[in-house]
Amino acid sequence: MGRYVIRRLLQAVLTFGVVMFLLHYLMSLAIQINGNPVRTFFGDKPVSPELLAATKAKFGLDDPCLSRVGDPCLNLFGKRMSDWASFDFGTNFNRADVSELILNAIPKTLQLFLIVTIVWVLFGITAGVLAAMRRGRFLDYLVRIGTTLTIAIPGFLLLILTQKIIGVWLGNWAREEFGRDSVLGIMFQPSYNARYPWLTLLVPGIVLGIFGIAGITRLSRTSMLENLRADFVRTAKAKGLRQRRVTIVHTLRNSLIPVITLIGFTLADALGGSVITEGIYGIPGMGKLAYDAVKKVDTPVIIAVTAILSVSYMLVNLLIDLLYAVLDPRIRYE
Amino acid sequence: MSDVKIKSEILPDADPTATLLRVEDLRVEFHTRDGIAKAVNGASFSVESGETLAIVGESGSGKSVTSQAIMGILESPPARIAGGEVLFHNVDLLKLGKERARRVRGNHVAMVFQDALSALNPVWTVGFQLSELFRQHRGMSKKDAMARSLELLDLVKIPAAAQRLKEYPHQFSGGMRQRVMIAMALALDPDLLIADEPTTALDVTVQAQIMRLLKEIQIERHMGLILITHDLGVVADVADKISVMYAGRIVEQAPVLETFATPAHPYTKALLKSIPRLDTKGQRLEIIKGLPPVLTNLPPGCNFAPRCAYAQEICTRELPVLATVAADRAAACHFSSEVIQDV
Repeated sequence: MGRYVIRRLLQAVLTFGVVMFLLHYLMSLAIQINGNPVRTFFGDKPVSPELLAATKAKFGLDDPCLSRVGDPCLNLFGKRMSDWASFDFGTNFNRADVSELILNAIPKTLQLFLIVTIVWVLFGITAGVLAAMRRGRFLDYLVRIGTTLTIAIPGFLLLILTQKIIGVWLGNWAREEFGRDSVLGIMFQPSYNARYPWLTLLVPGIVLGIFGIAGITRLSRTSMLENLRADFVRTAKAKGLRQRRVTIVHTLRNSLIPVITLIGFTLADALGGSVITEGIYGIPGMGKLAYDAVKKVDTPVIIAVTAILSVSYMLVNLLIDLLYAVLDPRIRYE
Repeated sequence: MSDVKIKSEILPDADPTATLLRVEDLRVEFHTRDGIAKAVNGASFSVESGETLAIVGESGSGKSVTSQAIMGILESPPARIAGGEVLFHNVDLLKLGKERARRVRGNHVAMVFQDALSALNPVWTVGFQLSELFRQHRGMSKKDAMARSLELLDLVKIPAAAQRLKEYPHQFSGGMRQRVMIAMALALDPDLLIADEPTTALDVTVQAQIMRLLKEIQIERHMGLILITHDLGVVADVADKISVMYAGRIVEQAPVLETFATPAHPYTKALLKSIPRLDTKGQRLEIIKGLPPVLTNLPPGCNFAPRCAYAQEICTRELPVLATVAADRAAACHFSSEVIQDV
């Protein structure tokens, strides 16, 4: 087990290196093809070649490889990696410390994703399990129609709609009825409020959770249905166990194994989705940081955010593989 | 509280002097897309304590459905018990409330399933799956329940039992897994054990060991045993009497030795002929021609008639009823007296 984790971590380091290099190459190509971003600092004003060269030097964009299209700029890549190894993430084009930007953004995104994961587990899995237990009855149809709807409605539309309906209409009513500082008044706000992080993250968290919930609910339902027909469930009944115990102890645990995998994949998708959610709700998390950085071609920030996202993606996947072994004793890592 | 007291509380009306299990005219239907499949069509049989009844028939003859109906673990829908009685010490198990029926399972009637690998839950240890019986039915502490589970593994002769309690089903060999299944069924000391093809998934040497173990424990505990099988070789060794099922009906019922010597139903006779034997080496093995009838569309008359060597015109018109052909023997055939004399 310990050796397996070490091997996986080494693989992750390798993967990380490849991801970083590809990203670096893409960003270098962008500069090589579109021209040096330093030019945009001056707008339409004429610039003396001396000033331009000095500004390029200041932002580390003076390497001659940046004007040769297709050059991988290995020396720049090496420099960035060695800086990172000493926890120096540099500054962005606005001279802000990148590490500080990221450290400020991470907690918000973590909070958001904690809510998302709770939504998935609490509502997604529960709805799937209940639908399986009531197969072919009203609740089952409700869950099936509900999940189809959440797949059919595009995410951004759902976000804008909920922002309007919950944040504005419902929020206005709540603020008028219970006052500006009432729990409901704060919760139903159209945007993030740093004074009440949890309360204002609740609505966007649930909405973002709805993105991935359909797959999780559907898979929980099918997986439960499949296991309910299993021989060992029949054995559990023949042992005279209570229905509740048959369902929870002898069906649910077995059914969760594929669902856990899906949660891993969905989490990765939702990390991408957080860019839109955080953008629309103005949550100063990693998604918004990436959103703003892409708009401004802020290379150091884009690369750092992507690095963090890919690291967290790899960690989530490792965690899920380890969870497998916890849920299914037939899986052992040597 | 003692086991005996708990058990008598579950079925206070049970009459211990009455027959252990008497199934009367049991009918089970499955509601499928193609119509109603009549899986069991009026099966009647009985088992006394200490007695072994073998229910024999080919796949789809209704023998497994019958056993699951007795256990009360048929999935309904699609299954529906359309009629009949399952009298356990004169109490109809089919008329019990859900909770009482649940407590009967394991305590009074227990079951050993066919393929222990799929019948045991892969994600829990063997110790967990055994001890939960004591914890759920007897309210024992974890420690006491584990101690009882250990005794059970010893009883079914699993070596290094203490260590094996902590292992998972996939870590056991096929024979050992089937022993675990048997231990599980015996845990609460049931009066009746139903073994549904307990040795089908095992290789031949292990089959004999498992059957011997079942038989030993049955004699020791004076249990009733219903052995469901299509293996007539096993039947000859362990059963006292035999019920042959075909298309959901019992076609012959008799003590084992008589049935083997002089079958009274053409189907039984054909089954016996289709067993490979050493002394007929070099000859063609006889098979039963044709297929069993489709259960959603049973023909009028005798269901075996299309495959029967003795069939006459009457067989396609009139359904033969199970009638006495000799002392202790019954068969459902218009020509059973001819069949019995025809060697």
